[in-house]
Amino acid sequence: MNQAYRADVRPMVRVRGLSKIYERGGEQLKVLSGLDLDLAEGTFEALMGPSGSGKSTLLNIIAGLDRPSAGSVEVKGEDISHLSEGALAAWRSRTLGFIFQSYNLMPVLTALENVELPLLLTSLGGAERRKRAETALRIVGLEQRMGHYPRQLSGGQEQRVAIARAIVNDPAIIVADEPTGDLDRQSADDILTLLEKLASEMNKTILMVTHDPVAAERAKVRHRLDKGALIT
Amino acid sequence: MIPFRYNIRSLLARKATTAATALGIALVVFVLATVLMASAGIDKTLGSSGRADNAVVLRKGSDAELNSNIDAASVGLILAAPGAKLNDKGAPVGVGEVVVVLALEKIGDPGFTNVLLRGVPDDALAFRSGARVTSGRSPKPGSDEALIGKRLQGRFKGFQVGQSFELRKNRQVSVVGIFEDDGSSFESEVWADIDTVRSGLGREGLVSSVRVRLESASKFEAFKGSVESDKNLGFEVMREPEFLEKQASGLRIFVTALGGVLAVFASVGAMIGAMITMYGSIASRQREIGTLRALGFPRWQILLAFMLECALLSVCGGTVGALAATGLRFGSFSMVNFTSWSEMVFTFQPTISVIATSLIAALAMGILGGFLPAIRAARVSPIQAMR
Ligand SMILES: Nc1ncnc2c1ncn2[C@@H]1O[C@H](COP(=O)(O)OP(=O)(O)O)[C@@H](O)[C@H]1O
Ligand SMILES: [Mg+2]
Repeated sequence: MNQAYRADVRPMVRVRGLSKIYERGGEQLKVLSGLDLDLAEGTFEALMGPSGSGKSTLLNIIAGLDRPSAGSVEVKGEDISHLSEGALAAWRSRTLGFIFQSYNLMPVLTALENVELPLLLTSLGGAERRKRAETALRIVGLEQRMGHYPRQLSGGQEQRVAIARAIVNDPAIIVADEPTGDLDRQSADDILTLLEKLASEMNKTILMVTHDPVAAERAKVRHRLDKGALIT
Repeated sequence: MIPFRYNIRSLLARKATTAATALGIALVVFVLATVLMASAGIDKTLGSSGRADNAVVLRKGSDAELNSNIDAASVGLILAAPGAKLNDKGAPVGVGEVVVVLALEKIGDPGFTNVLLRGVPDDALAFRSGARVTSGRSPKPGSDEALIGKRLQGRFKGFQVGQSFELRKNRQVSVVGIFEDDGSSFESEVWADIDTVRSGLGREGLVSSVRVRLESASKFEAFKGSVESDKNLGFEVMREPEFLEKQASGLRIFVTALGGVLAVFASVGAMIGAMITMYGSIASRQREIGTLRALGFPRWQILLAFMLECALLSVCGGTVGALAATGLRFGSFSMVNFTSWSEMVFTFQPTISVIATSLIAALAMGILGGFLPAIRAARVSPIQAMR
């Protein structure tokens, strides 16, 4: 273990002995080899490393999209590696917000409808869903663009809609895989400012994968992944 | 749930492929609805007309009037059987008629086509409650004049009021009127005086059938029992609706079988078309679907959404096809009736059940065609969202 963890605060995310081995054409590819990682509540943390080092793999496993070959992932004290497929989907919708490199908005839905999407998995009524989606869009500064379709928005605006979608469920954790990878410097800056704000003002735990050192600078904690292991 | 507008707009976003697939389904449903409308038209003409209180007497063993021969002398005997209704003059209500086939020139068709010619007594129009002359006039009794059934009007050479046709070589019959009979098969016949037909075609002393009005439908068994009791005379008695139903069955089986085979093959084609469209659409929406999965939408909701999308596509196409088919209701089609080998003209009947069956078939095509693609969609991994 190469980091001293504070024993008094239980981390939001606690990864232990995590390994991931991909099989490709009978050949085994060890991407993660027994790594440990803690993410503290309400902090903005960056995960860096060269391309192909396994950043996305690690993020996907923490987000419950993929399963580890060995080791455990505890989120809020719950081990998610034993959840069934369906339970994991429900868990994601309650606990996580997703931000993708290419925004991943539904092109046929308006900004408001896109943000409302995660709420369709809750028991909230239509009026309440709409209210919350509007609030989320206000937080990202897009209250004027609610009726716009993704193709009518700039990349930076699309990513802000995606951030509104990620926070509308009020999740504890937000994962972002290269959220500024497709953006110009100015738009990237706006997104990073928003992420900082979400951590500091709304107490979100944020894990951001990036290979951009400037972006990583904005995070409070930086982890570096190299040859399947972490250097923090 | 995944909102339905997501599926509607996704279909609209792919206008060209959506339209092409819907058009394929529209065509198939058009064919299906046309077959069903034709079958309903045959039913209407042959199957559901006829009066329950009419009995039809034929020579035993002859299924159709055309190959039935009864001595004219027996007509009085048949009409005198118990159960026959009497008119206010005390005479039984009934008609003995002779039915023959005439080969005439059909307009716009080379060669000759068979037409049913019915030699009728003077009261044939009065006997049939629905029958009436709609243009021209009734023939003079005992004359070489004829009425043309409405559906044959203008279809053969000479089949218009004021024209004439040949009964046999050098024997012209002039057309003096057009008649209708509530859409029954009589409308595909030519009616002339019974003696004219008999003398012109060498049928003296014979009739093909005797139709008898009964006091009530419940008198049928008694009447039948009496008429059929003399085995030497060898008569067969049927209720009129039953008789007509029998005339219709061959044709209906033919139309339904031919149409059914056509519709099944076409449906399979349309279904495969819908399937290919959905597979294509899903392949290009891997990341969208992955994102929905990442956001927490369960597999079954994805499955349902894509089945609905395909069903919607199909039902839209089906509605267009069914509506287009109802446009045929103003048209008619002719077929050779197997029991008489003569031309019969039918109309297309767009009944509620025809429309409902067509739309249900479209829905079924959508659900069946959408099933495998929807399963593929439901199998998309949430990791696809990250790629
Ligand atoms: N599903 C998979 N099957 C096989 N190999 C994979 C799979 N996903 C990722 N990899 C491999 O794992 C390694 C790490 O990938 P990834 O986590 O995407 O790296 P990064 O995000 O750091 O660029 C790469 O060599 C990649 O080719
Ligand atoms: Mg990556």
